[in-house]
Amino acid sequence: MSQAAEKKIDALHCPWQVRCSMVIMGLGQMIYGQIVKGLFFLGVECGMLYFFITRGWKDIRGFFTLGTVLGDPWLGTQSDNSMEMLILGIFAFILLAFWIILYLVNVHDALSTARDVRAGRPVRHINSTLASMTDEKFHITALSLPVVSVMIFSILPIIFMILLAFTNLGGDVMYPSKLADWGFSAWEKIFSLGKVGDTFLKILRWNILWAVVATLVNFFGGLSLALLLNKKNVIGKKIWRAFPVLAYAVPGFISMVGFKFMFSQSGPINYLIKSAGHDPVFFLINDPSATWWARGIGLFVNAWISIPSIMLMATGILGNINTDLYEAADIDGATGMQKFFRITLPFVVFSITPVLISMFVGSFNNFGIFFFLRSGITSKDYFLASDTDLLINWLYGLSVDNNYYSVGAAISLIIFLITGGISLAVYVRTAAYKQEDTYQ
Amino acid sequence: MKKSHLSPGRLSLLMGGAAVFAAGGFFVQGVWRAVLWGIGAWLLLWVLLSFLLAPRTFSRAFDDVHTYLALIIVSAIFVFPCLWLILASLSKSGSLYDFKGFFPSEYSLDTFKKLFTDDAGGQYPYKTWFFNTLYVSVCSCILGTVLVILTGYVMSRFRFKGRNAVKQTTLVLGMFPGFMGMTAIYIIMNQLGLVNRLEALIFLYAGTAPMGYLVQKGYFDSIPNAMFEAARIDGATNLKIFTRITLPLSKPMIVYTALMQFAWPWSDVLLPKLLLKNRTTWTVAVGLFSMGETEFARFAAGSVFIAVPIVILYFCLVKYIVGGLTAGAVKG
Repeated sequence: MSQAAEKKIDALHCPWQVRCSMVIMGLGQMIYGQIVKGLFFLGVECGMLYFFITRGWKDIRGFFTLGTVLGDPWLGTQSDNSMEMLILGIFAFILLAFWIILYLVNVHDALSTARDVRAGRPVRHINSTLASMTDEKFHITALSLPVVSVMIFSILPIIFMILLAFTNLGGDVMYPSKLADWGFSAWEKIFSLGKVGDTFLKILRWNILWAVVATLVNFFGGLSLALLLNKKNVIGKKIWRAFPVLAYAVPGFISMVGFKFMFSQSGPINYLIKSAGHDPVFFLINDPSATWWARGIGLFVNAWISIPSIMLMATGILGNINTDLYEAADIDGATGMQKFFRITLPFVVFSITPVLISMFVGSFNNFGIFFFLRSGITSKDYFLASDTDLLINWLYGLSVDNNYYSVGAAISLIIFLITGGISLAVYVRTAAYKQEDTYQ
Repeated sequence: MKKSHLSPGRLSLLMGGAAVFAAGGFFVQGVWRAVLWGIGAWLLLWVLLSFLLAPRTFSRAFDDVHTYLALIIVSAIFVFPCLWLILASLSKSGSLYDFKGFFPSEYSLDTFKKLFTDDAGGQYPYKTWFFNTLYVSVCSCILGTVLVILTGYVMSRFRFKGRNAVKQTTLVLGMFPGFMGMTAIYIIMNQLGLVNRLEALIFLYAGTAPMGYLVQKGYFDSIPNAMFEAARIDGATNLKIFTRITLPLSKPMIVYTALMQFAWPWSDVLLPKLLLKNRTTWTVAVGLFSMGETEFARFAAGSVFIAVPIVILYFCLVKYIVGGLTAGAVKG
């Protein structure tokens, strides 16, 4: 081996072919004879250049200004649409990041080819590159599509919403009449003593109460149902289990709308109440007297829908308990209660903790129940919300129905901070997260 | 009378309970009086039985009767609303106001016939909605399952640069309220020219599905590494290992994933409501949600019609569901 081969090749000390790749993506590869790969990189470079010259730079500028031109109907000029500019700006940034990553991949690739050449190995043929896509680089091939789709449909919208919370978009600041700007006006509205801030506190209080109670009801309901169905003296377990599974299988929105009809003013329950000679009860209508009725019914409907799945989960977990434990307890003369509190409950709680957390987060953000039971109601003393709405319902009402975009976005950030803080603290501590390799 | 074998504590608890409920009955009116007296009489009955029956028989009877009583009540709670909707779908008159109590007075199959033949002047084109839903659900089920299984498998089996970043990013992003980006999604779809097109929904359902890869990852984590290493030694490529070993082994997880990916579009209201503005492009869920109390029977019939396939699927695949739920539970 020659002296030169031992010299390290890196970005600072490299042959001229690699420098070609640094200037024009893919050029070095083509000089080395890797035509297809080179063309691919060159194509990426040309495409990106074309995009950023024709509109990308404008998008990025628009991201910072959020629009400069206010339309004039007399002159026939068009307003800038701040919201679109924001999202297109984010998109341009993502593309830019993607370009930089591919550029680095390109340099890296040219470097490794240069090392091959210096070491006297043959330059990799396109076929072997393609073959590596199904083998040592399988993870890249497999993940590319999921990553791209999640990027566009999950991450981009979330970044958009995060940034939206720091603009003044929404309300009267709307396309085409007014241009938006960066700022903290949404947060000022929420944390000031006005109607928005007042509504926020009221809803937050109810939301926390709801999440705690609903999680407890569902968890203990599901667990007791599983224990009931697991009892030794129950004959025909499969048949008994079929009823909750039926409730689980019925699409959720059907059950929720169905319950809305059942409890409606002219629904069957009120018919029975009336025929028993009483006044009808207004369960779900827009009136302070209905608040606690509606909240209770929401809790019941939520339990009806969620308990079966928790029952199924708990059944699976109960099957994993070592029966020796119970036998030993029997020999020691333990009562049923003692067995439940000393063996069953700790075991179930221990194995279900991560789910318990996601159940809590799910309850906290349970959009469906009150959306289906009481949509379109705005209560007195609330800002565009009803007295049963959770934060998530309010956020939906603000940003989808009423165009209060930045306030809605700020609320979703608050929701994230609450739920994310709780779950992160627990996730990081669970053994499953820390020691995942020990199971394999 | 024989001496009761119940311990004095329990006996007094039962008797005291009976007394409290019976006394309480004097202070309330109507239905509640009957309920309280019923409970009191029930407790008293068990006090009497504790004197009459042999200890073994008594405790078994006590346990059995209450177990089955609880089972019957719980089952009734779960089955009653379903039964109510099914019977309502078979009612002769359509409006909720014509129902006397829970159940219709006259039955016929007309509502189902009307559902498919009479769209009330273009207001409720159920047949179109149904095929829209089927198209969206099947496509997103296939695409979404492929994406999720691939993601779960790779995240479970491979150690690569950026893996932890992917893991943490999805974990954090998963904590954002699910449809927080709905406004953004509408704008993106508008830019792509996909508003009012069913394909928009397919891209959304399938494209965001990989975010929930943790259940699948948990399942793949539980397959022993030795199987894969043996194949590696035999010179199999990673693609071959995935198609020849992983996929056949993971049938339960694939079934579970496919079912979930199918059921979600099948019954989602929000995204179709956001993205589909023409009645003819709606899915069944949006259509049913738009029906008021006067169209109650139509709602019930439409619900029964789309609930039946999914209920049958769930019942056939309940084994896999338990597996999936437990995999998600234990591994988080």
